[in-house]
Amino acid sequence: MKMTLKANRWMFGLVAAACTLGMTLTPCASAEVSDADFNALKEMVQKLANQMQSMQQTNLAAEQAHEKDLQEIQQLKEKLAETRQMATNAEQKSIEAAEAQQLPPRQPLDEATVNHNFMMLGDAEIQFVKASGQNAAFEMADFAPVFLYRAGDNILFEAGFDTTLQNGQNAAGTHDSGASTTFNLTFAQMDYVMNDYVTFAGGELLLPLGTYSQRNAGWLNKFPDDPLAVDALIPESGIGAELLGAIPLGEDGKFINYSVYGVNGPSSSDGFGTAGALDLGGNVGTTSSGANANLHTDPSGGGRVGLFVPFPYKPHYDVEVGISGQSGQWDDAGNYLWTAGVLDAALHLGPNFEAKGEFIETQYGSSDKGLVRQQGWYVQAGYKLAGLNTEIPFVNNVEIVGRYDTLLNAYDSGNATFYNTRRTSVGGIYYFTSTLLFEGDYEFYESNDPGQFSNQLVLQLSLGF
Amino acid sequence: MVVANFICHKHKSNMNKFKKSKKPIAAMFASVAVTALMIGLSPALYSADTKSDALQSQTNSAPAQTNSVTLEAKTPAPNIVAPKTPLTGAELYSIHCNRCHPERYPTERTGAQWKTIMLHMQVRANIPVKQANLILQYLQDNSGR
Repeated sequence: MKMTLKANRWMFGLVAAACTLGMTLTPCASAEVSDADFNALKEMVQKLANQMQSMQQTNLAAEQAHEKDLQEIQQLKEKLAETRQMATNAEQKSIEAAEAQQLPPRQPLDEATVNHNFMMLGDAEIQFVKASGQNAAFEMADFAPVFLYRAGDNILFEAGFDTTLQNGQNAAGTHDSGASTTFNLTFAQMDYVMNDYVTFAGGELLLPLGTYSQRNAGWLNKFPDDPLAVDALIPESGIGAELLGAIPLGEDGKFINYSVYGVNGPSSSDGFGTAGALDLGGNVGTTSSGANANLHTDPSGGGRVGLFVPFPYKPHYDVEVGISGQSGQWDDAGNYLWTAGVLDAALHLGPNFEAKGEFIETQYGSSDKGLVRQQGWYVQAGYKLAGLNTEIPFVNNVEIVGRYDTLLNAYDSGNATFYNTRRTSVGGIYYFTSTLLFEGDYEFYESNDPGQFSNQLVLQLSLGF
Repeated sequence: MVVANFICHKHKSNMNKFKKSKKPIAAMFASVAVTALMIGLSPALYSADTKSDALQSQTNSAPAQTNSVTLEAKTPAPNIVAPKTPLTGAELYSIHCNRCHPERYPTERTGAQWKTIMLHMQVRANIPVKQANLILQYLQDNSGR
């Protein structure tokens, strides 16, 4: 062990001596580097130092740019967060707005339609008339609102009015002066659908004497005015009650319909049975003195039976025929009967051709002229030029129409004379829309009645609503 | 016309005769009225439920019925006639509405309004209730709302 320690000591001494020599001898060795080398080395060191400094500056600039980028990134992140928040808020608001504005869901039909409903339909007509021997004139031919009130599934109240304007007269009654508005109740009836085959109607009824009064008046007619016989021979409406209905014949559209009714009926304007006193439009059940009474003993009774037959597998091809009548007392004493019979028919051959007509015959007993028998009929047809399938503009909106009607043995109480009138009308209709139409026709009169209209041109703008 | 001529022959121009003939005329119109009423009421009294049920079952079993028709067509049975297809609401709309006025578009009115209008038209044109209901269904299915 002692030998080992001695050896280490020797070795340590040798190492120390070597180091001392090394340190002392090295400057001697460096002293041998030439100045050129030293300067080159110094220059190289200097360059390295410059490069280092340059790099440090570059690095500093890069660090600054990086710092700036980081700041921008931070700002962008903040903006993005704000944008996201705004988008989220906007989405939420839009959802809330949509929920707030969302329409109520479509209800099942039974729920949506079982409640009552009120509506106004009707029509309005403006006319321009030029009759030979008369000055041409514009006139507000009619404004005819129809009010409907449905109470549930099978009850309906409906009322129609006619509003017309007419000149008044001056105080002396020698010339027209001012104007008056006439607002007439055309019909007002309550309908109760009792079952599939019977409907009750009560009130002021549009009478089913033919079909014109119920289905063709106003803008529905293809002519601006009514057939002569319809206006002169039968009442348009009556106060009373009616049972009506229709019975299908098979599943192909055929059916029979019927109406039976009782109304107060025509009356006498002076109470007596003179021929000129027949009043088709009065006797509404309440007298001028306020009493509730019929002007004659018994009400009138009437009815209609019709048959409708569509052609098999041909929509718009159909025919309908009907027979109707009414009879009842008309003078106050109840001595005389007024009776009317009407045959009606309508034919459609495709969507573009229609023909219809009615034959009306009435008779009534009178105290001065005995049995007064009157008669009249009309037949009219229309053809829509759309059926020609032309490409000519406006032609497809045109329908050409023609009508022939008569009024025979019309009694003029002023002259105590009977007159006959025949009229031929030709014209056309231009359909601006399905409800706005321009009607125009020229009417040729042939009559022995000096008070009857002369030939005339009638233009009418009609709106159905 | 027949009625009018009949009355004319009966009354002529004699006032007294006319007075006497009041009752026959009234009786004639009463008979027409009663006949029409009976025509109207008899189906309602005796066969309304049956027809209604038949139509209902026909509607409910439409697919089965179609299948059976197909089978009958393939089976040689000349005495069996395929039933006629009932008219649809659209066809009835096409038939009836255009009879009196230009057709109105279903979108012009709401379902509730069409119900009111069809009740009005059913009475005015005196068309069968079931046909009116089919037209109403068509109009409501294609209505504005």
